Amino acid sequence: MGVSGWLEDRLSLDKFGAKYLGKPFPVHSTFFLGEIALFCFVVLVSTGLYLALFYEPSAVTVTGEGAAALPAAYASTLAIDSHPFGALVRRVHHWAAHLMIASVVLHLLRIYFTASYRKPREVNWVLGLVLLGATIAASFSGYLLPYDQFSVTATAIGYGIARSVPWIGSTAADFVFAGQFPSAATVPRFFAYHVVWAPLALSALVALHLVILLKQKHTELRAPGERPDPAEARWIHGIPLWPEQAALMGLLFLILGAALAALAAFLPVHPSAFYGPPQPITPEVKPDWYLLWVYGALRLIPGTLSFRFLGATIGSEAIGAMLVPGILGLIILFVPWLDRSPESGPYAEHPAASPGRLALGLAVVTLFLALSLAGFGAELGLSVPVLWGITVLAPLGVGWGVHLLVSRGKSERIVLGRPGR
Amino acid sequence: MNRRRFANWSLKTGIVAAIAAVIPGVLTLRGRSRVAATRGVAPGDRLVFALGQNAGQPVTQGGFTQNEAVLAYPEGKSDNHENLVVVCKLDPAAIKPPTDMAGVAQGVVAYSAVCTHLGCTVRFSEEPMEQAPFPHIHCPCHGAMFDPQKGCVVLGGPAPRPLPQLPVRLNDKGEVVVTGPFSAAVGVKA
Repeated sequence: MGVSGWLEDRLSLDKFGAKYLGKPFPVHSTFFLGEIALFCFVVLVSTGLYLALFYEPSAVTVTGEGAAALPAAYASTLAIDSHPFGALVRRVHHWAAHLMIASVVLHLLRIYFTASYRKPREVNWVLGLVLLGATIAASFSGYLLPYDQFSVTATAIGYGIARSVPWIGSTAADFVFAGQFPSAATVPRFFAYHVVWAPLALSALVALHLVILLKQKHTELRAPGERPDPAEARWIHGIPLWPEQAALMGLLFLILGAALAALAAFLPVHPSAFYGPPQPITPEVKPDWYLLWVYGALRLIPGTLSFRFLGATIGSEAIGAMLVPGILGLIILFVPWLDRSPESGPYAEHPAASPGRLALGLAVVTLFLALSLAGFGAELGLSVPVLWGITVLAPLGVGWGVHLLVSRGKSERIVLGRPGR
Repeated sequence: MNRRRFANWSLKTGIVAAIAAVIPGVLTLRGRSRVAATRGVAPGDRLVFALGQNAGQPVTQGGFTQNEAVLAYPEGKSDNHENLVVVCKLDPAAIKPPTDMAGVAQGVVAYSAVCTHLGCTVRFSEEPMEQAPFPHIHCPCHGAMFDPQKGCVVLGGPAPRPLPQLPVRLNDKGEVVVTGPFSAAVGVKA
């Protein structure tokens, strides 16, 4: 009796394997997006485990050997950069965060454009959006930690946004930032958010997301004209988890690791030594790509748009950073209930099958891109009125154009879904 | 009292006690106690350079030229970001209300350097801009513009309120001294 037999006697692994190792995974490249996000999270935790060994969560000023007095957090970041492979690990951590957010966003777009959010998958749609928010929050809480000039500026803007919330702003900001920012109390607080709370919350949410997926199964693309067959609804066509899908996952993880290492080696990201320690002046900075749309909205909304409501001032900053993203977020959250199509079940839909959904989705994507473009208005020499024009007209134009094209082409029955069967 | 009633009351009392015990703990998350130690600006404070070789040295009227500005803190209070001010030296004849004229000394006028939009540090701009004549103050974050000759009213961009003015006078050594509180609350405010 070998080791496997010994374990088998105690854990009944065969029974477990028979139940789960055969789980079918539909084969389509877009079905890897969620996995890429998950693998990025694994890379983030692994590199974070290393970084946490050396990072010092304190804004107290320390004096290094022959160096000027620096905040301890910043000095420890520079020390990590000087380790063998230290800078590489830090950059991989940073790149993995970018890639995780990107793959979560693309995953969300895939779900939307294939209508995979429909009953019974509304719960996972909502959970997915919470995961996106948690991922961005985790990134934001990590932004401050290197405590360089860029970090402090970005976090100070976040603090300003929190303070601008009507009625509860300054109290809420105190709770989140442990008092006024910048002050010495914020760094340990954000270290706890980033290193304990965020990974715990993300792990729990990811686990729930996957358990629900396991229960509900993947969606499957359908050939044209193929009607949902209730007798077949319990079955999904795909490759089994073991060994085919597992091999693909292993390969994907290795490719991801190689890509992150290459990005980190050749494209420095967040060079703390270059940004320098925090100063009272504010450098010309732009946020990371995934917050550019909020930045653009903040630049577009004039101060004169502020108004008073029930004793509080709804300032331009609250409109740009809270109201606009809040409304967009709520619309996206309620997509499963806004889509009145009765179809549900195991099948994904071809993006062009519903011209309205496709047009609306692309219009919202265009809106996000137009707002991001507004963040570069000064560099592109575009005035605020022109940018307003683009922000309003481009989504409408794209939505209308797409709807027109797709409704016309629909009669010709675009070939959909799985090739052959 | 029967057992069911007793269990019910115990449960309710326990819940109330648990909540009451947790509240003070949750309130400490606010973390203001540490900040209370940092002091605000007070009349009589001298303004000192915030940056550069002269950091910590008093800002004097002769220390910088007309149409120039420096970032300054009230002496010994640089740990509170909200104390950061931009001290401008302007053409005395060009300064008009709503500037608090009593708080201007020989063209030297001080404003909070914390943008009222989202709290970035504003800059005294030497580049003429389309919407704003020289001299003006702008914020590098989201493009707010203020007019230091007219009480830092908003010239354009997203800022909701003017930059608060800090009234100053010059003492006999030509140093810039604070004479009163900021004209309005500093920084971002809902």
